[in-house]
Amino acid sequence: MVSKFQHLVFYVNDLEESRAFFSQLLDLQLSALNHPDSSAAMKMANQEMRFMSFGFYHHDICLVKHRKLQFDNDSLMHYTMVIRDSNAYDKILENAQTMGMSIKVGRMIKSAKMENHWKAFCFQDPNNHWIELILK
Amino acid sequence: MTQIKRDANYIPPNVLPRTLQLISPVLKNKWVRNLILLPSTLSGKRFSNKTADYGVFQPSRVSHLDQLSIYVKDIATSRKWYEAIAGMTHSRTCEAEAHPYRAGFTIKCCYMNAKAHDECLVLVELRNEQGEIITPSAMSFHHFALEIDGNQFQDVVNFATAARKKGFVSSYGVVTHNDIPPNGDGETGGNTAVYFYDPDYHLIEFCGTMDTIENYKERRAVQ
Repeated sequence: MVSKFQHLVFYVNDLEESRAFFSQLLDLQLSALNHPDSSAAMKMANQEMRFMSFGFYHHDICLVKHRKLQFDNDSLMHYTMVIRDSNAYDKILENAQTMGMSIKVGRMIKSAKMENHWKAFCFQDPNNHWIELILK
Repeated sequence: MTQIKRDANYIPPNVLPRTLQLISPVLKNKWVRNLILLPSTLSGKRFSNKTADYGVFQPSRVSHLDQLSIYVKDIATSRKWYEAIAGMTHSRTCEAEAHPYRAGFTIKCCYMNAKAHDECLVLVELRNEQGEIITPSAMSFHHFALEIDGNQFQDVVNFATAARKKGFVSSYGVVTHNDIPPNGDGETGGNTAVYFYDPDYHLIEFCGTMDTIENYKERRAVQ
């Protein structure tokens, strides 16, 4: 039996652009990288990874650049991250404004649960993946 | 947004060929890994990617992942798969609703629970303006990971054994993503993992023992 959703590894076009985006907006930290010159599996798979941590686990999200294949947005609709506290929520909104991002207030899926004291907004990363942030 | 029609027999280009799946356990042998990386070693390009090279000490503005929504061809088939292999439970399936960002498209959502994480996975049937189901590409994400209850090495081994007895075929693992024999595959994160493709070729990692700041600090103190 599984206990929880642990991490997500998704495709991006530009590893450094995406790493900078998540660091600037959410303060995520680079926890490791995998490269065809450092990893046998990456060499065989022709891809490269940047692991990003929320600050407790080694990685929570991981960015992947495949050197031959093109990714699309036809299998992932969205994913949600929980914001640590209200100060962090305000700081992220401030960062989003500074970065010129457009945001959609509210939950991504209309049928998703939403309690009165929760706050949520959604935005797209540099690769048009939709991300939802929620403060519970 | 472009929409590509995929037939029922569609296999995403990132799916590992079965031959490679079968020989992948050789990555647990460090001499095989060294052989694969020999060109990088000889050219002087080889470098370390070990977890210990990148200390993570500060909490970010995010505490954890909450929900993941993925497109599936058929909710009933996918629900049955996640219930059977992962022991996930059905929370609710909603009526069709407008897609949040694709004009004219509709979605039907099936919310699935893990033992300690309610509605963490949403299985989504996507229909176009004509009401046709869109076959997912499996080309947006590489994989996602569900943590196995217990979170220990043996829990992952037991999970993999039970899954195989039920007829599920793993694509990789059980391995541990470090360089410690006999199960280390030379990768990073410290997580013990076994991987399976779901009915839509989404790659799912079932994992435990992920490295944390605390055990990183302990190892660093020992070094």
